[in-house]
Amino acid sequence: MRILVVEDEVKTADYLSKGLGESGYRVDVALNGLDGQHLVQEHEFDLIILDVMLPGLDGWQLLQIIRRKLQTPVLFLTARDAVEDRVKGLELGADDYLVKPFSYAELLARVRTLLRRGPPREVEQFQVADLHLDLLRRKVTRNGERVTLTNKEFSLLHLLLSREGEVLSRTLIASHVWQMNFDSDTNVVDVAIRRLRAKVDDPYQLKLIHTVRGMGYMLEAQS
Amino acid sequence: MRLWPRALSVRLAVMFALVSTLLLGLIGFSLYQSLQREIAWRDDQALLGRLERMQALLDDSQSIEALRSRPQLYENMLGNRDSLLWIIDDAGQRLIEINPTLMPLPVLPAAERATLGDSQSSELLRLAWLDVTRGDRRLTLIAGKLLSEREQMLAAYRLKLWLALSVGAFLAFGFGWLVSLRGLQPVRQLAMRAAAIDVQHLHLRLDEFKDVSELQALSKALNLMLARLEDGFAQLSRFSEDLAHEMRTPLSNLMGHAQQTLARPRSVDEYQNLLVSNLEEYDRLARMIDSMLFLARTEQADASINRQLVDLHELVEQLCEYFDGTAQECAIELINKGSGTLVADPQLVRRALANLLANALRYGIPDSAVTISSSLCDGVVEISVHNFGEPIAAEHLPRLFERFYRCDPSRNQPDDSGGLGLAIVRSIMHAHGGQVRVTSAQAGTSFSLLFPLDSA
Repeated sequence: MRILVVEDEVKTADYLSKGLGESGYRVDVALNGLDGQHLVQEHEFDLIILDVMLPGLDGWQLLQIIRRKLQTPVLFLTARDAVEDRVKGLELGADDYLVKPFSYAELLARVRTLLRRGPPREVEQFQVADLHLDLLRRKVTRNGERVTLTNKEFSLLHLLLSREGEVLSRTLIASHVWQMNFDSDTNVVDVAIRRLRAKVDDPYQLKLIHTVRGMGYMLEAQS
Repeated sequence: MRLWPRALSVRLAVMFALVSTLLLGLIGFSLYQSLQREIAWRDDQALLGRLERMQALLDDSQSIEALRSRPQLYENMLGNRDSLLWIIDDAGQRLIEINPTLMPLPVLPAAERATLGDSQSSELLRLAWLDVTRGDRRLTLIAGKLLSEREQMLAAYRLKLWLALSVGAFLAFGFGWLVSLRGLQPVRQLAMRAAAIDVQHLHLRLDEFKDVSELQALSKALNLMLARLEDGFAQLSRFSEDLAHEMRTPLSNLMGHAQQTLARPRSVDEYQNLLVSNLEEYDRLARMIDSMLFLARTEQADASINRQLVDLHELVEQLCEYFDGTAQECAIELINKGSGTLVADPQLVRRALANLLANALRYGIPDSAVTISSSLCDGVVEISVHNFGEPIAAEHLPRLFERFYRCDPSRNQPDDSGGLGLAIVRSIMHAHGGQVRVTSAQAGTSFSLLFPLDSA
């Protein structure tokens, strides 16, 4: 998978290219709009990450140029989160946006979603190691034993399982599980994870829910 | 080009001039009219009198011929060039004629009684005539007066009137201008005073012009406006100061911690710890900026809110689910007594209540309850969040909703809302045209959101 990052802030471009590289993507960086345009015309990308404020050719203009020929997914980054800005970006044909400052985990999650392409798979059975979740019967078992969860605990586990191996930020978890779409400064997510762990992980040898310090939580069968 | 002058004094002077011209014109016109009527009436009376005297002379003389031979009898009675006199018999013969300007004899209809009329001839001529019978002769007596002299006099009078009118208008303009300049003097003083007020001198006030009622009202209104501006400005600068302060703490943590770690080689663990601790500070900064932006947008006058019908029980239930885990950890029971509906922005109401609930859980004492209840009373929907706990000291209550206000300045818990939580609640309520209220006593602390029904 090849990703183009168009970003004039050198530090941002640097950590994005490093991070995405570590996640297994091939990353090209353009530090201004014109270079970006040039690269888009020369090569084929699976995803373009586009900063809106660029010298020379700005992000909106570049987005229009890209959309004239290509349907490559575009994720735009903006420091201005006025509603009009977001609407403008999406109207011009961007697929998603992130407002600076964004968490890296969030960015990675969005990148994965955009690259997944096609409609999300409707998975009804999840299996990670000896943890099993049946969406239709709303049944969770670990090592063959039934685990009783509350509604929200079930939703939380479902979210973690459906994004297996991805780091999920607290904000994302809060908005998916409780529809709390604002950055809340409470420790609600940590408490919920703690309670979920007590039921799903604590009695067992193999821990599946991991804390990624400073970023969020992840479910994975790590050996 | 602007026809209407900019200066108020000139405008007033022009208006003065227009008004006085109109008044002087009306007075002059009516005086002129009455004078003209008066003169015409007098002339007519003189003509009629002349006819009478001629008639009397005819009566006194034996015959018309005798009268003709003594012209001095009537000539001196005429005596000037604009008076005319004819006596004509029925054959059209002029028996007596006094006609210094040699006017043609006018053709007149018969008149048994003295009749007045204007002649049709070229020059303006007023005539009085009368048919009389002397023996077997029918005579026509005609007395006339040329109007040219009268016309000249009236024309001169008209000219004087016009002159007086123009001079009057001019004087009215001049005096009006002077008077307006003088009358507007306080306005200039007001302007000078107002010009001296800038950001550094917002405490200055305008003099109240007690003797000029219009200006008194104006300066009062301006002073009130200044007071509001000063207030807002003070709040704003206090706020920027607070903001800078609030950013200093995380920044100094970041800098200090990073420098201290870099001072010598460390283990990977220590570096990781540094980065994680940094991230926490970054999060705090990011949240603070988000909250600030949220406040700035919500407080804009044109901030649009997305009003919908909200089921209060359902909304509170969602929040209770959200805080369920946290509440259990503090051994606090969440009681949902919400009922009814409300027209409001569900996102914003949720956010406001979430902030209140987070506070209630933070300050509630263990093994007690936090109750969310709602009521409708006098067209106001009230949603209250009550918790048991230490009462908040009365001196803090009025300032609780200010940004960055903390009852205890030293307290800075890791999950503290950064001092903006309640400010956000208040701005959300303002955006809904409502308000937020707090009461605190031994029985616990209660925050109430008041939504007016009619603002929906």
